[in-house]
Amino acid sequence: MKKAWLDHTLKVRVPLIMMVAAGSFIATYYLSRSERDGVGYAPVQPIAFSHTLHAGTMQIDCKYCHTAVTSSRHATVPAASTCMNCHTVARKTRPEIIKLTKYYEEGVAIPWKRVHRVPDYAYFNHSAHVNKGIDCVHCHGPVQNMDVLSQIQPFTMAACLDCHRNAPTRLASIQGVKRGPENCNACHR
Amino acid sequence: MNEKNHWRSLRDLQDAGATEERKSREFEPGVTDTFDPSEMSPLSRKQFLALMAASAAFGAAGCTNYRDKGEIVPYSKKPEDITPGRPLYYASTCTACTQVCGTLIKTREGRPVKVDGNPDHPVNRGRLCATGQATLLQMYDPARLRQPHTGAASARSGDVTWDRVDTEAVQQLAACIRDGKQVVLVTGPQTSPSARKVITDFKAAFPTTRVLTYDRLHEDTRRRGWERTYGSGPVPTIMWEKARVIVTLEADILGAEGAVVEQTGAFAAGRDVDRPDDFIRLYAVEGAMSLTGTNADYRIRLTPAAQLELVLALLHEIGRRVNIRTAQYPAGRSLDGLATAYGLAAPTLARLIDDLVAARGKAIVYAGAVHSPEMHAAVNVVNELLGNTALYGPVRSADGAAVSPVEEFTGLVRDMKAGLVGFIAHLDVNPVYHLPAALGYGAALAGVPLSVAFVEAENETAVACTYMLPVHSMFEAWGDHSVRDGVLSLQQPVVAPLYATRQKEAVLLHWMGASGPFNESAYRDHVKKYWETAVYPLAGAAVDFTAFWQSALHDGVIELPHATPVRGALRADALADIRITAPTGMSVLVTAAPYIGDGAFNNNGWLQELPHPVSKIVWDNYAAIAPATAKRLGVKSDDRIEVSTANGKVTLPVFEQPGTAEDLISVALGYGRTNAGPVGSGVGVDVTPLLSLAALNGTRVVAASAVTKAEGSYALASTQEHHALDDTFVKDFHLKRHIIQEGTLEEYRRDPHSLGIERKEYESISPRVEYAGLKWGMAIDLNKCTGCNACVAGCNVENNVPVVGREQVAKGREMQWIRLDRYYSGTPEDPVASHQPMLCQHCDNAPCENVCPVVATNHSADGLNQMIYNRCVGTKYCSNNCPYKVRRFNFFNFRDDLAGGYQQEEPLNLMQNPEVTVRSRGVMEKCSFCVQRIMEARQLATEQGRTIEGKDVRTACQEACPARAIEFGNVLDPASPVTKMREHQLGYDVLGELNVRPNVTYIARLRNIHSEKSA
Repeated sequence: MKKAWLDHTLKVRVPLIMMVAAGSFIATYYLSRSERDGVGYAPVQPIAFSHTLHAGTMQIDCKYCHTAVTSSRHATVPAASTCMNCHTVARKTRPEIIKLTKYYEEGVAIPWKRVHRVPDYAYFNHSAHVNKGIDCVHCHGPVQNMDVLSQIQPFTMAACLDCHRNAPTRLASIQGVKRGPENCNACHR
Repeated sequence: MNEKNHWRSLRDLQDAGATEERKSREFEPGVTDTFDPSEMSPLSRKQFLALMAASAAFGAAGCTNYRDKGEIVPYSKKPEDITPGRPLYYASTCTACTQVCGTLIKTREGRPVKVDGNPDHPVNRGRLCATGQATLLQMYDPARLRQPHTGAASARSGDVTWDRVDTEAVQQLAACIRDGKQVVLVTGPQTSPSARKVITDFKAAFPTTRVLTYDRLHEDTRRRGWERTYGSGPVPTIMWEKARVIVTLEADILGAEGAVVEQTGAFAAGRDVDRPDDFIRLYAVEGAMSLTGTNADYRIRLTPAAQLELVLALLHEIGRRVNIRTAQYPAGRSLDGLATAYGLAAPTLARLIDDLVAARGKAIVYAGAVHSPEMHAAVNVVNELLGNTALYGPVRSADGAAVSPVEEFTGLVRDMKAGLVGFIAHLDVNPVYHLPAALGYGAALAGVPLSVAFVEAENETAVACTYMLPVHSMFEAWGDHSVRDGVLSLQQPVVAPLYATRQKEAVLLHWMGASGPFNESAYRDHVKKYWETAVYPLAGAAVDFTAFWQSALHDGVIELPHATPVRGALRADALADIRITAPTGMSVLVTAAPYIGDGAFNNNGWLQELPHPVSKIVWDNYAAIAPATAKRLGVKSDDRIEVSTANGKVTLPVFEQPGTAEDLISVALGYGRTNAGPVGSGVGVDVTPLLSLAALNGTRVVAASAVTKAEGSYALASTQEHHALDDTFVKDFHLKRHIIQEGTLEEYRRDPHSLGIERKEYESISPRVEYAGLKWGMAIDLNKCTGCNACVAGCNVENNVPVVGREQVAKGREMQWIRLDRYYSGTPEDPVASHQPMLCQHCDNAPCENVCPVVATNHSADGLNQMIYNRCVGTKYCSNNCPYKVRRFNFFNFRDDLAGGYQQEEPLNLMQNPEVTVRSRGVMEKCSFCVQRIMEARQLATEQGRTIEGKDVRTACQEACPARAIEFGNVLDPASPVTKMREHQLGYDVLGELNVRPNVTYIARLRNIHSEKSA
């Protein structure tokens, strides 16, 4: 009787438990890869715009294009007319600029692929963060080195709260920075 | 004090047991048993799971790139002033009714999302009524006509082009001139001087033109009464803010008559507890229980047909008191005789006269537009005797509200049938619905070769015309408007036209000019030219016209110098040949519906679902009758009666309205439309058949020839009897939970603490949370609140509150975040009413928070009771544990539920406030203290490098309140108005003894009545 019980345990129970454990681990591992949270996402854009060139080499300030970042919830992607401030003159013959000019002249909005996204039920506010002195790089990474823009941080609630809770260490460069709000209404409404 | 045993309905008063039983349940019966298995899908559980698995597999197989996050589409050429995420405000004018209030329209990314009053407007001073705020839905209404369409007169074949309409109209107009046929324009009252000029020019261009004007909710009886009294001249407005004693006669000045926003503001300003020596006293003489009646200090219940006799008796009594001879005026019974005949309280009548005489020059007697011109003449004489003419303000603009004599309409129908009319156009009117069917207007239209209706959406008249022509909504149109001398406001488009609509005046201009293509900006140029030639010289501006025009557009309104109104001498024959007839038998009073206007807003779900301010009934009109009359007729609420007058008969559901005069049926017009759109068609009963054509500019009080019980019953849906505040617990100990606390002004002036309001500190088992710096709180002054529902409308728009429909309201599932509770005390014959806005109290010790199993509702550091939709799993425990019953559950995706998913159709999605989540099925929601506005204020404060202050935030309800009864702010700031109200000796918490520590403070209401001692 005792042998049969052990037999059953070794033949059925132990492998089953191990299988479930391994399966759970694999599933959890797969589902919780940072890729699932969008990290590393670098879609092909309709125009091969390079942040390395504009923000890196030429040192154009982020706010030159993302104008609303200090005054609105949205940083805003620049209108084609903003690009044309320079490109009516600059590099007019390059194929990507010809594409841009075509969009602009036909009055068609450029369908940029969205790289960063917070869910509809979260109301992230760029202005509130940037006006506190938080640099774009903290969330968006070293954009000035990205030929093709990609996501660096996971835009999850855990990631938001990690910084809100540990602001003095995460944002040590900002004098007297306080912890961010943790109440639900700060982001959800 | 506080001896009142408040009751909320007759059922409540008479059948306390049933009410108690009902209150002990969380939801109305039937709410939870809609899941009858036999009516459900025959699919078994296993089959369902198998199908689910299969579809999940298919779904997974067809999966697209899960990492794709869609697109960001920026402007191609960004408009200079627009910052995505930041609102822009435009001053404009609301054209929902003839009061044409100034508006301030909030737009986001080029689309209007909220309408408020223009703070610079001298009449509505930053506030707007419920209807005005809900006009936003009119523009985004999916039922709007998107391009010209044929009506029944051309077999309704389909869409046509504007070019075809233009060609036909121009040809037909030329033919009319050639053949001497009539050209007819039927219009509503034109408040716009520029539009009036277009019509004048149109008449000059086509000399055979006749213009007929009518207004279903006219004030023409007032004008005719004025002419009778003073010979001629326009009627003045009343300077309500100067009045200290107001006597209304069937005039719902706080509800649905006249400039309600201005009147409510003036009334509330005279109910300031910190100026107790300057309180207004309001007497309401009325047969139907109106909002004004519920707010009156003394309500004298008298059927409208007997009110003329009362006014004449008052006239003679007042004449005797002020020593002015009144023998030349007709007389009926004496005051005592009337008091006996109609059961009026003689002491109240004596006080009324005392007050009127004492407040000479600062009092006003005001008759409702439903009354006859004779009544208005009698009231004018009374005001003249008392010197109340000092309160007459600037006159109403000369022909802004002028209407045509009714004979012109009979003549028009005759001419149409005789083929004398070659062309007819309808502007802003719906005569097929509004005129009595006996006139045969709709049928006569068929005899006109070309008939057109300028409409926003299909209506009864439009479908009977050759063409229905879509016009701009008030958010897409240009205009200028004036209802009184010296105030002229501008209307400007705040959004590009959504469809192929046109400005109606521009179409008329085009037909006059007829050469070249249609010029959309023609009317803007016309308005501008009118202002340059007629307004600019009057304004005495120190700048050139362009700067003046820009500044007027920016401000939305200008004030012009105007002549002091001159009144003719009081005519000796003002009241000659008035016949006084005591009413015999039943009479019918056809009132104005509180929110839907003359039926123009029937397809507006927000307005249909706003509870009637007195009866709390939604989505219907009904015959309101006194309980005693109901008993005599052998009917009760929800039965049906057939009402006949000399003009016709209708069958109506009955509602026993406490406070209605006996033998009176009061019913609202504007319902029962057949072509109002998917939401509004077939809602309520059209009572036009009860009225004669004469009522189009005469009285709307008619004698009923027969009233009989009809077959069947009809369950009216009301918001009053569910969400009951649960008061069973202490009922045996006290009769009262101090939910409403009231006192008299007299007692208060003697001793400000006489009300004995106690605000105890209770022990708690949990430690008290201390707040630092900022804590949000609200205070509501019940002296000022009239119960008008403007706050509810404002909240609906701001917070994307869905419309649920009649059936769902009947089940207690309405979603409005604010509920205007109306309590009665006293007897069913002469009830005393109290209004109380009830919303989430953001309790410090919120009972809802303790019971949520997923912590979807909890407290923020600045004192907000937060409700997090994406965390909510829908247990409804919070609602069950809420003592105020202010939580609302999404039993369905209500947007999908009403009228075939109407609220999910394009372009209604554009109307939603982008700063507030659109809630879906299965989550709880409730008042958030407009947290999106708090967050916006916080963002601005950060931007300016300062900390947020209490005065930075104004909630939507506060902004909407015409009475300025609501204050909101930081309760930790001792200087803020909200703290002052919180610490006022009249301030109290509702259900404070539960130790939930609510953060909405109510200021107890003081009634300006005489105490027993001074009687």
